Amino acid sequence: MTEYVIIGDGISGSSAAETLREEDPESSITVITDEGEALYNRILIKEHAKGKLPEAPISIHEEDWYEERDIELSLNTHVTGVDTDEKVVHTHEGDEIGYDKLLIATGGTPTQLPVDGSDAEGIHHFWTFQDARKIRESAEEAEKGVIVGAGLLGIDFAAVCGAQGVEGKYLMRGDRWWRYALSGEGAEIMHEGMRDVGVEPVFDSGVDHFETDDDGQVVAAVDPNGDRYECDFAGVAIGLTFNTEYLGDIDLEQDNGIVVDQYMQTNLEDVYAAGDITRFYDVLLGEQAQNGSWGSAKEQGRIAGVNMAADDEAEEFEWVSSYSITHFDFPFLSFGHPTLGDDHAERKYSDTEWRRIAFKDGKVVGGVLIGDLAPQSKLKQLMREQRVVADQKEVLLEETVDLDDLAPPQEQ
Amino acid sequence: MATTTSTGRSLTLRRVDSVAPDATVRHIDQLDDRSLELFYAALEGGRRLTATGTDLEPGTVVVATGYYRVEAA
Repeated sequence: MTEYVIIGDGISGSSAAETLREEDPESSITVITDEGEALYNRILIKEHAKGKLPEAPISIHEEDWYEERDIELSLNTHVTGVDTDEKVVHTHEGDEIGYDKLLIATGGTPTQLPVDGSDAEGIHHFWTFQDARKIRESAEEAEKGVIVGAGLLGIDFAAVCGAQGVEGKYLMRGDRWWRYALSGEGAEIMHEGMRDVGVEPVFDSGVDHFETDDDGQVVAAVDPNGDRYECDFAGVAIGLTFNTEYLGDIDLEQDNGIVVDQYMQTNLEDVYAAGDITRFYDVLLGEQAQNGSWGSAKEQGRIAGVNMAADDEAEEFEWVSSYSITHFDFPFLSFGHPTLGDDHAERKYSDTEWRRIAFKDGKVVGGVLIGDLAPQSKLKQLMREQRVVADQKEVLLEETVDLDDLAPPQEQ
Repeated sequence: MATTTSTGRSLTLRRVDSVAPDATVRHIDQLDDRSLELFYAALEGGRRLTATGTDLEPGTVVVATGYYRVEAA
């Protein structure tokens, strides 16, 4: 009987456990998590923080889900070390759990701002359900908020401020939100969305330090220009630090994430990784990449499970990810790798509609659609087909994309 | 109210202001590509829907630019 151990009960770890049980019914499966609750819907916790969604629908698995599948779930359990020679996982309670195959799916922890006062009361990071509960509670009492981190995670804090009636200042280091993927025209649509919910973007700013009162509660953020923004609530989302410290000095290849191939295999025999923590080989991009979307993590877990059970390279990970922002009146969708590639095309269609397509070697590798998402399925199709189309940008920027207008694919 | 069809069934999307604790709720990023396409087409309305399948079930609330409950037409 093969013994599988999965560290992490997020969507990738849980997806792997479910797949392993289906693929290898007689096996032993153990899932270890340091959280105190079983799998929940991480992409819905922001709705709870906004005060719009009750807790119950966010839960995905009750503990009996694991019991029914004969999966051992260890909650509130910290892994303190992994011995890949002896094939043993050590926990904080001194337990040693042996494995034949190990999956690392521990994701990351929000990075703290390296400035004075960043650990004050009222300053929040957003990753777990428990974080969301605290943010909701804090935002409900707050009057003025400051948001730091001009990316896909930071904008959730802007939405929380907007939904909870907190007057927000969104302090951005550059001249626009998500400057790596959006030009000024695209970003301005998002800025208007923020203003519409009561959050004012502040450019060429950031945080030099936070001020606190005698009780350690944040009272203001001061930016590098010396401008002071009063706040009793702050949200910081400047990135993730991957949870690998417990792996110690084992010879696992890492490069700002655990390096895996398209089969979710690390460089160590019988050790796999899946989810946000991976730097995986993207067969569509032709290079290593990272992705933090729900769908990508779920699929990586499934692929890892398939290959672990097969003890072979049975199926490779090939996925076009999607990441939506649903906080405003207009839809926003990012797909694939919009910040990568060697070429791009973009167009603004109206005050709420904009499109960007990223290309690498002439092929679509990602994009951002704001306002009108109708072309998303066709652009994803082109990405999957790895068709060279960068020489036909006008067709792809038409308001209505018709793939029949593209020149026939050439032999490649 | 927008209408779409799913494996012979007609479904409607109704915008709701609140969600019951026992509701099944999915974020739009959890929908498969075909369902996502049909969902937005139905929301925007006026588009002919020719697809035959979605992974949407009546009673599910989908979180998009608003909350939309999937209902049998």
